[in-house]
Amino acid sequence: MEKRVNITIDGVHIRAPEHTSVLDTAIEFGICIPHLCHYPGVPDIGACRLCIVENVVRGKPRVTTSCTLKVREGMEIHTNTDRIQQLRKNVAEMLVAEAPNSKAVQDVAVRCGVTDVPYKFHNEECVLCGRCVRVCNDVWQAKALGFVGRGRDRHVAFPFEKKPDFCKHCESCVDLCPMNRTPCPGPMKKGEEFVCGQCESQLSMAEDVDDSCVWCRLGDGFGCTRKVQAQ
Amino acid sequence: MKRINTVEELESRRDTLLQEQDSDTLTVTLCGGTGCRASGADPVMDALQQQLKEKGLQDRVSVQVTGCHGFCEQGPIMVIDPENTLYCQVTENDVPEIVEKTIENGEKVDRLLYRDPVSDEMIEKEADIPFYKAQDRVLLGDNRRLTPGNIDDYIANGGYAALGQVLNRMTPEEVIGEIKNADLRGRGGGGFPAARKWETCRDTPSAHKYVICNADEGDPGAYMDRSILEGNPHAVIEGMIIGAYAVGAQYGYIYVRKEYPLAVSHTEQAVKQAREAGVLGENILGSGFSFDVEIARGAGAFVCGESTALMASVEGKVGEPRPKDVHTVEAGLWNCPTTLNNVETWVNVPHIMNKGANWFASKGNESSKGTKIFALTGQVKNTGLVEVDMGTSLNDIIYKIGGGPHNGARIKAVQTGGPSGGCLPENKFDLPVDFDALTEAGSMVGSGGMVVLDENTCMVDVAKYFLNFLQEESCGKCVPCRVGIGRMLEILTDITEGNGKPEDLDVLEQLAWTISETSLCALGKTAPNPVVSTLMYFREEYEKHIRDHQCSAGVCRNLVEYRIDPDRCTGCGACLKACPHGAVEGEKKQVHTIKQDLCEKCGICKNVCKFDAISVQ
Repeated sequence: MEKRVNITIDGVHIRAPEHTSVLDTAIEFGICIPHLCHYPGVPDIGACRLCIVENVVRGKPRVTTSCTLKVREGMEIHTNTDRIQQLRKNVAEMLVAEAPNSKAVQDVAVRCGVTDVPYKFHNEECVLCGRCVRVCNDVWQAKALGFVGRGRDRHVAFPFEKKPDFCKHCESCVDLCPMNRTPCPGPMKKGEEFVCGQCESQLSMAEDVDDSCVWCRLGDGFGCTRKVQAQ
Repeated sequence: MKRINTVEELESRRDTLLQEQDSDTLTVTLCGGTGCRASGADPVMDALQQQLKEKGLQDRVSVQVTGCHGFCEQGPIMVIDPENTLYCQVTENDVPEIVEKTIENGEKVDRLLYRDPVSDEMIEKEADIPFYKAQDRVLLGDNRRLTPGNIDDYIANGGYAALGQVLNRMTPEEVIGEIKNADLRGRGGGGFPAARKWETCRDTPSAHKYVICNADEGDPGAYMDRSILEGNPHAVIEGMIIGAYAVGAQYGYIYVRKEYPLAVSHTEQAVKQAREAGVLGENILGSGFSFDVEIARGAGAFVCGESTALMASVEGKVGEPRPKDVHTVEAGLWNCPTTLNNVETWVNVPHIMNKGANWFASKGNESSKGTKIFALTGQVKNTGLVEVDMGTSLNDIIYKIGGGPHNGARIKAVQTGGPSGGCLPENKFDLPVDFDALTEAGSMVGSGGMVVLDENTCMVDVAKYFLNFLQEESCGKCVPCRVGIGRMLEILTDITEGNGKPEDLDVLEQLAWTISETSLCALGKTAPNPVVSTLMYFREEYEKHIRDHQCSAGVCRNLVEYRIDPDRCTGCGACLKACPHGAVEGEKKQVHTIKQDLCEKCGICKNVCKFDAISVQ
């Protein structure tokens, strides 16, 4: 039988399967933690930092990403403290200011309570979540995509910038890309970006599936507008 | 070289080597550290060898090229023993005179002696120089005595005695106990207790364990790890073998930047010699304990100094950090328990084993023990590597050792800890330099960079400089570090260009908090420090930039104007000739003026003006 460990998430006692991540466990048990770079079945790297939670270690709450944190016996997790909400909102602000032309990013930003950003919009075409790179390398083992450069030069590219013949044309990279859908008002031109604030779709790429949202009360905590509009 | 098979053989080898040494021989020691080499130590060396040969003195005089002595300001440095005469800034043209006067006749060459910039006195002996006198050179002192590529030299100076003692008489637990009693804290920046790392690594069951020496020193202006590896690589190796014995590791890596060619070659040489001598490899000194090291060369990414990124790099992957929810002492290199320590931490280990934990703990203060090397740079008279007891005040380092301000300008702040550290203002200079006091004050010891800033430095510009560095060196994996630092830099650039808004400071503080809390690795977590500390202590400078569009240090080009004082200008025309932009106009012998629309604010006119007529406003 599958081994399980005892953890608490937001005070809820959960017997989680060993070796799963805190994020997977939380979602499995109906606790919604906003996330972007995580995709079910693809190894996590903790790039977007939206799924941050507080992990209480020796009495001290430490901020860490729940997608990369594996459950351990006796773990105590808080997903929606004031500190986490504020930090998550700040991270979401950074993200949406980078890539306002993504429905997924707009969605998650709104759900984290972002109504406006204190910076100029950048309107990038990529948020470097790495979903494409990971699905290509780790899931399909095709290794046709990778990260190149570091810091502000970091970007996703084919080996030596040329589409290799070992690319399997599976198009998983395109399917998983959070940038492949523009926000509902349509594509935003440079200089005309805004936080749309209207979206009520699910963030996860399973957004086409009806009733996949559990309408959790915890969504209130990070200003999830689905909940608000449902009322 | 003959293999040493037992600890007894090692000791008898040491006795033989010591008997061969003759303390009365005239010894010329030339600093061969990278600093002195850059200022021309190599031609001096060649000239010296040639002169000695021509005069037939090779047998009477022994010449030694050592690692860095630390007094880089005055390089190339030459010390002549037993008189202990120190010559500064020696060039190849000085060599014939030195050979004739000092080596043949025992006279001094006065013009090459060190002149103390504070008292203006001439000082003959190396030991009397205030720069050295105020230091406690436990680790750097060895650099001065050893030829780096010579294991015999190291053994004669007491090398590998600690290893012999450990293998012969101590259990791994006793070694860890000794390190714990000494309270050795990691020198790489974090100040994490070394014994705790070692203990966890030892207690984690695994068939394979590793030790790593982190020599990926990337802080701008810091070069203590480089100097130790260049000058005394055997001490690092000895420390690592002892550490490996304590944690139960069979293999180790020295991760050193490829930009440090001398360090790489000296370390390679040392590893080879140590293997031949039997102190490294199979069955070390006949104890049955086996351990070997390999040199891994880094390609120069700053982030590879972070432990998990470093390990990824050693594994042959892209040097990017991974989350540290499971510590590297439990699952590090190739998922095996790994003990990673900085060069300076490893070098301290043989000293602790030789002289005891109490000796080590007697140095320093309550929170931090032992000595620490700092790279003192910036606007002080004596720049170089300085080693002081932990807990020495910033004042002592800057004024006693550093000799105070370089050009008479008032010292305003000191930046410690490299890009992850912060700036401390003058009223904090009585703080003891230890891990906790500096962190509490908003900076950190870091790897030991110490940049002294005077009143001609703009603190907003300093913060901007470090953020720019960090933005380029961030791996770019996580959002807060990649995007957040970029946003902070954008705001700072606006401020320095006169486009700052009052609310910018709040945004900066919010960003700083978010980046430090949510970033993936220590690079991101500490990245906002330069901004946070300058905002804490120099907020009025930020406000002045934003509110009055003024940069009092005259650094931010968009906020300053160069003007010619009509009362002082003699119309000599020097500035007119010098200005590369044609912005100065005026008839000969008439007062000149600067056309502001053409002025690029390069400051050349101000530098050439002999009458102090050009001011920055």
